[in-house]
Amino acid sequence: MRNKLLFVFFLFLAAAAKGQTPSLVSGHFVNLPAKKFFQQVEAQTPYFFYYDSTQVDSLTVNMLVQDQKVPELLQKVFRGTDLLFAIDDQNRVFISKKIPLQAQLPPNFFQPAKAQQRTDHTQSLAITSTMESRRQAVSENKIHEVGIKTNTIKQGNVVVSGYVRNERSGEPITSASLFVDSLNRNVVTNQEGYYTLTLPAGSHNLYVQSLGMQDAKFKVIVYSDGTLNLELKEHVALLKEVVVSAQKLANVNRVQLGVDRLNIEAIKKVPAVFGEADILRAVLALPGVKTVGEASTGLNVRGGSADQNLVLMNGATVYNPSHFFGMFAAFNPEIVKDVELYKSSIPAKYGGRLSSVLDIGLREGNKKEITGSAGIGIVTSRFNIEGPLAKERTSFILGGRTTYANWLMKLLPDEYKDAKASFYDVNLGISHRINPKNDLYFTGYLSNDRFNLASDTTYGYSNRNFNLRWRHQFSNKMMANFSVGSDRYEYAVKSTRNKVNAYALGFDINQFNLRGDFSYVASPSHTLEFGASSIRYKLHPGSYLPNSNESLVTPNIVSPEQAMESAIYLSDRYTISSQFSISGGIRYSLFQYLGGREVSYYAPGVPKDESTVIETKAYGSGKVINTYQGPEYRLSARFAFSPSFSIKAGYNSQRQYIHMLSNTTAIAPTDVWKLSDPNIKPQQGDQVSFGLYKNFKSNTIETSAEVYYKKIRNYLDYKPGATLVLNHHIETDVINTRGKAYGAELMIKKTSGKLNGWVSYTYSRILLQVDDPTVSLPVNNGKWYPANYDKPHDVTAIGNFKVNHRFSLSLNMTYSTGRPITLPIGRFYYAGSQRVLYADRNSYRIPDYFRTDFSMNIDGNHKVKQRTHNSWTIGVYNLTGRRNPFSVYYVSEAGQVSGYKLSIFGNAIPFVNFNIRF
Amino acid sequence: MKRINLLFLLLVVIAGCRDRYELPLRDNDVSLLVVEGVLNVGGPTNITLSRTLKINDDISFKPELNAQLTVEDKSGNSFPLTTMGPGQYNHTQVPMVVGEEYRLRIRTANNKEYLSNYVTAVHTPDIDSISWRKENEGVRVYANSHDPSNNTRYYKWNYDETWEIRSYYPAEYKWLGDANIIYFGLYNYQCWKYEQSSNILVGTTAQLQADVLSEAPLTFINPGSEKLSVRYSILVRQQSLTKAAYEYFSLMKKNTESLGTIFDPQPSELRGNIHCVSDPQEDVIGYLTASSFTEKRLFITASETQWRYFQDCQSIEVANHPDSIKLWVPTYLPYSANTEGLGIKSYNMAYTRCVDCTARGGNLSRPSYW
Repeated sequence: MRNKLLFVFFLFLAAAAKGQTPSLVSGHFVNLPAKKFFQQVEAQTPYFFYYDSTQVDSLTVNMLVQDQKVPELLQKVFRGTDLLFAIDDQNRVFISKKIPLQAQLPPNFFQPAKAQQRTDHTQSLAITSTMESRRQAVSENKIHEVGIKTNTIKQGNVVVSGYVRNERSGEPITSASLFVDSLNRNVVTNQEGYYTLTLPAGSHNLYVQSLGMQDAKFKVIVYSDGTLNLELKEHVALLKEVVVSAQKLANVNRVQLGVDRLNIEAIKKVPAVFGEADILRAVLALPGVKTVGEASTGLNVRGGSADQNLVLMNGATVYNPSHFFGMFAAFNPEIVKDVELYKSSIPAKYGGRLSSVLDIGLREGNKKEITGSAGIGIVTSRFNIEGPLAKERTSFILGGRTTYANWLMKLLPDEYKDAKASFYDVNLGISHRINPKNDLYFTGYLSNDRFNLASDTTYGYSNRNFNLRWRHQFSNKMMANFSVGSDRYEYAVKSTRNKVNAYALGFDINQFNLRGDFSYVASPSHTLEFGASSIRYKLHPGSYLPNSNESLVTPNIVSPEQAMESAIYLSDRYTISSQFSISGGIRYSLFQYLGGREVSYYAPGVPKDESTVIETKAYGSGKVINTYQGPEYRLSARFAFSPSFSIKAGYNSQRQYIHMLSNTTAIAPTDVWKLSDPNIKPQQGDQVSFGLYKNFKSNTIETSAEVYYKKIRNYLDYKPGATLVLNHHIETDVINTRGKAYGAELMIKKTSGKLNGWVSYTYSRILLQVDDPTVSLPVNNGKWYPANYDKPHDVTAIGNFKVNHRFSLSLNMTYSTGRPITLPIGRFYYAGSQRVLYADRNSYRIPDYFRTDFSMNIDGNHKVKQRTHNSWTIGVYNLTGRRNPFSVYYVSEAGQVSGYKLSIFGNAIPFVNFNIRF
Repeated sequence: MKRINLLFLLLVVIAGCRDRYELPLRDNDVSLLVVEGVLNVGGPTNITLSRTLKINDDISFKPELNAQLTVEDKSGNSFPLTTMGPGQYNHTQVPMVVGEEYRLRIRTANNKEYLSNYVTAVHTPDIDSISWRKENEGVRVYANSHDPSNNTRYYKWNYDETWEIRSYYPAEYKWLGDANIIYFGLYNYQCWKYEQSSNILVGTTAQLQADVLSEAPLTFINPGSEKLSVRYSILVRQQSLTKAAYEYFSLMKKNTESLGTIFDPQPSELRGNIHCVSDPQEDVIGYLTASSFTEKRLFITASETQWRYFQDCQSIEVANHPDSIKLWVPTYLPYSANTEGLGIKSYNMAYTRCVDCTARGGNLSRPSYW
């Protein structure tokens, strides 16, 4: 940068400097980057080059040179660009771009009509006049030139790409919205902050918006394909500006339906139990997402079961995303950057689950300085540190959380005074820039939960994930990501008290992933994404082993399961006009169930049980036992009636080859997973959806309405009394079920202003029906019945009111219909007690659910230069103390039937949290 | 996995809560036949027939009257049961052989016929011991058994409890009504109380290499319970089950006793081994088993357990005057007298339950095994 200042002076010497010390250069330069070219010249001559590499990085040299003098050579090389050079008497060559002499440059001259248009479109951006002037102060005095300068602007389209980064930390900014006013076109940066924009050559105003950053306007002149890296300033709360959401226009403009995005700032404002910012609970506040009850972080998206969600953390599959049996999300809020939930238009690159993809993006470490934060809450503490390992190139981020929940156990009755509960999680992220075209990212994650009840049975579960990704940019138009990773989930239950029965029960699931994803901007109207992925599964479905020398437990090991799930995909986003765009994708997935394992085959048309086995075949290791395959389609279309109003429609189909076996209402950590095999078909789902999107008041108020209809096939239900753990023949206990789900989601969202937040209403149904001719007495006589998580009405309101820059209030309210339960139809006397008789699955509902949470966020002062920044969060979960029932049940006690209503968090729970950032 | 559920119940104790919930009334006319009983090899066979009730019915038991029951073997012999009481049907000893198959035929008064599947009569091993252990100030009682032939694998129990209680104040004076108190000698001081198991108790050794049943929990005596105030006895009856019967009873237990945790299974329908002949769709509740029984009795005395039993009893002194006496009886009863010269100056009185063990539901006759 300093070179630049010097340069102004030397510019004037340029003419005078010519002709000194004639050293000659020879060589054949083919596509040689300017930097390399200068190095070669330096090698052949006594000249030394001073330049700002960002100014020359769009220049490549193609030339055959024979004994050329350096000044003449440079003149040739720089011809047609705006680069100038000056040489002083010490053979120092100073290179710079032409310094603009006035703010408005001639390129407007070439396109007078466009200029007119620009002013019109400015209004479609939600920018108040105060912001406008500030932004100009920031960036309008500079004109960014892209490509190789020519005297006349070429006709036709060019591709501009680059990174959007945080000016302070160098972190890439995900989902920043870039908007070119003359085109009414917007693109969004990807996970690495990278964007690709196709636009006509010439001069444009480029607006960049991102949550938490100051809006910026860049004047650009585009001559040819090139790179433009943009830096945004952090939005400092001192400024009297509103925060502008990056999704503002994305909502109306993007082709996909049913996509919700939350960034960590928004998540942290949602009050959560015990005050710990909870990603999954924030996701639960989104329309179309439900759960069976408080203590369960199992998500039910648009009528899907909890195992139909793919939870990805920087590309790693997390099988159990919760701590403490579902009380907390297992994601450290200090590490998470943002969360994206795909409910309908699931991109073709994702697959393997029916309902949704929850894509959790983690932050990259600060590339410029060491920073960190720490927090203390009622039950957890957390710490994270990040910073550069090599300045501007390599950074790390390390975060950890642990609990001291043992005091909670002390409140228990004496019987459990020795009980212990603990968990921790650790995240490590390393990003390394090899060069501007290649980056490496490493993500590691470990979570562990452990319980010990009165030193009798210990219980633990753990997630472990590693992921290494290489991002390579082939050109401005084509980029690829290659990743390898390994994911593991395991649990173990151990008991040692009774020596005869001492046991250790274990389960684990391992997957090894390999994938390559390419994106290619074929033309301004076509953006292609394609790639391939492969997952190798290995499951140990259960082992039950003696846990002491005296134990008589017979080792019982369900033989391991292995499979390979591979897929290729191709999708194209086709912008037919600025109004109409479509996105089509196809994914072809192939699932191979592998040996070595014995597989039983059953007589067709009769119930599967031990007596109807017709053949048991043993398959050798690695042998393909059977294969399932099929295409999945992802289609969506958007038509914009105006820049702030669009309609969209979509169709989506999915296949799922791995299933969680669970016959409990809430997902339990002891639930096991099962791969599809010759007896258990893959689940399949189809969804059609339709939506209306309209923004008001300069896009500060977004409204949307979406409806959907979904069909699910080969959903798994279980025979009465089925044991799912350690079951060697699970297929004999499974009932094939089909489902249909439909609903409407309405949302009003205010993204900016002192008061922001959203109100959503969801109507949704999910009905199941036994679809298995071999079942003689199907559930509810083969009629449709509601699933456990069928809650038709749901209203959620989340609001944040900023009283001043240091103090804000958050309130959320949620109401939903009570979930269905099976109630007794009668009672009988048996074995010395009254007992209840159940029938008609899920024909009754528990009372409706209503909850209000409140929190206050108090920030310390905002002086930028101080050593630490601190903040407090104080609040109350379930402010009204309403005893929302989790379940209603009947038990026989002392010979009588008693009905009970069980509530979790049945009181108002106050919390306080202290955070410090350094 | 039971333990995990327990933990959750506890978390609910901290943050959540459990409230009584009234059953919503549902209109239905479901009245299913309930069959309970075991074809006893080498003992009396008792079968109880009843009907399911509506949740809000006032009665707790609706016997199925005037049914005809017969036990049938595979060689065409049948053994009719006789009616012993409302819904009770009995045979003093059906001649059964372990390993043979038997079934039960029921013809109800409305002329519907029900038939069980054939069940194999199984042998039940002896109970090795009934053990107990102090646990969190209470006492848990366990069964221990084994089958050297490794055949039993599935066990079921029921038990009868007997315990002795004593009045806090031994009473020698007795109130006869009005203000009339006489010397009676020690009376209603020692009583016995009885209780039967009301839980389904099943256990298995299927996961073990040897058929050794170690410490299968039967019951828990709560801390401070009167059951161990003096002496306690439990008679445990053991029965072998087939795997299918075990699964049936486990499911019934799961459905009716173990709910109320966060990870509750969904209540599911019960399918037993008794069917209506004319209408196979009709559900019948109950699972017929055939086996011998073994039994064992255990005694525990209060001193063995250092039991802490507390009775809230306070004595008052009431002047021997009809007006004073009438003021206190029958809430308080006399147990001893304070004399002055030859006459009685006053009576010592205490709450009825402190002087009369029958007021605490006790039974005065000493059991034969006591």
